[in-house]
Amino acid sequence: MVRVTQVLEAHVLGEGDWIAVSEICQLCRIDLDAVRELAALGVMSSRERAPGEWQVPATALPRLRVVGRLMQDLGVNVSGAALALELLETQRELEVRLRRLERLVMDY
Amino acid sequence: MEFRDYYKILGVERSATADQIKTAYRRLARKYHPDVSKEPNAEAQFKEMQEAYEVLRDPEKRAAYDQLGSEWKSGQSFHPPPDWGSGFEFSGRPAGAGRAGRRQPGATAGGTYSEEEFSDFFSSLFGGGSPFAGARGRAGGRDHHARIDVTLEEAYRGTSRMLELKRPEVKPDGSVELHSHTVRVTIPAGVTEGQLIRLGGQGEPAAGGGSPGDLYLEVHILPDRTFTLENRDVTLTFPVAPWEAALGGSVTVPTLGGPVEMRIPSGAQSGQKLRLRGRGLPGQPPGDQYVQLKVVLPPADSPQAKALYEEMRAKLNFDPRAGGAR
Repeated sequence: MVRVTQVLEAHVLGEGDWIAVSEICQLCRIDLDAVRELAALGVMSSRERAPGEWQVPATALPRLRVVGRLMQDLGVNVSGAALALELLETQRELEVRLRRLERLVMDY
Repeated sequence: MEFRDYYKILGVERSATADQIKTAYRRLARKYHPDVSKEPNAEAQFKEMQEAYEVLRDPEKRAAYDQLGSEWKSGQSFHPPPDWGSGFEFSGRPAGAGRAGRRQPGATAGGTYSEEEFSDFFSSLFGGGSPFAGARGRAGGRDHHARIDVTLEEAYRGTSRMLELKRPEVKPDGSVELHSHTVRVTIPAGVTEGQLIRLGGQGEPAAGGGSPGDLYLEVHILPDRTFTLENRDVTLTFPVAPWEAALGGSVTVPTLGGPVEMRIPSGAQSGQKLRLRGRGLPGQPPGDQYVQLKVVLPPADSPQAKALYEEMRAKLNFDPRAGGAR
């Protein structure tokens, strides 16, 4: 018998949510310079809510976490991780399209 | 508990240099990294490698591990020797320095997995405390991460999950024990692939009265038999009879929210996509459902059916290759 001690309400981080860059650094285990470089490379957008107070859209978090993991686990630099991320995303899109086409072909 | 041969896991000799260990880890990491790899069981392999690297990259831990001797084989039943730990001090790694800070206990339950967990073997040798050493000196606790698997229907309707959260507790002797408690998490409708869910204060407790970390759940939507998902849009392949496509008409189509009536325009073709606006995953704006028509021919398996096909051939003057296709 599982004893439930608490019922938690989840907060889904979605469009409209912005996260402070300092928090991004902690969540994605990347440093401030890397976040700046990723924004310059166009991996995600950013905004300056107040002077010196930079934020990143919460929707970019999954991508930035992948970048962080690639940098730490594979030892690649920021631009290498950004390139790998784009290639991985392209690969996934192609896989989705391939699965859809395969399903269509199988249906015929 | 089973012994783990960290040298064998990384494929290096016991005499390997730090550089050789690093190279071996990087080579294997490229092959098995869960973000990159298509290898079956890549995630489990990668965790094992990370654990091995965590020990062998750290001179203190490696020296202690080597004290166990070279007679042990992977999978052998293992208990730490009675005098284990004397003469060694596992200081962990400074915060933000890399792997040690990354390995954290997380949430486990049906449909979720923790990103980072130690084996019992590791914990028995180096204690649960070492992985959290990175948090020392921080005002607040670390954030924890886990993945949560949901079906497409659950993503559409919202769902709840029981999560077993593991929390480290420092004992008076300085060692750390993991304690579990179960929580129910309500997941709202409309979550999408890769989206993060934040559970405030459910991460690592703070060491010195600061605020605890948060628990982040990364949503993974499981493949569905009926619909394919792309962002918030879903696509359904829908079979129709030739006369439904040719003449048009009303059909009942399944959607995530239940069956709806849809009008097929006359002259529709196989492969054509029709859109049901707002019938995808909920959101601002909600996704759409695409219905891809698939015209299915009735078999010419009776005299009557054959006669109808013969009549069409005679009367329709139809050449499907008139557009130039051969």
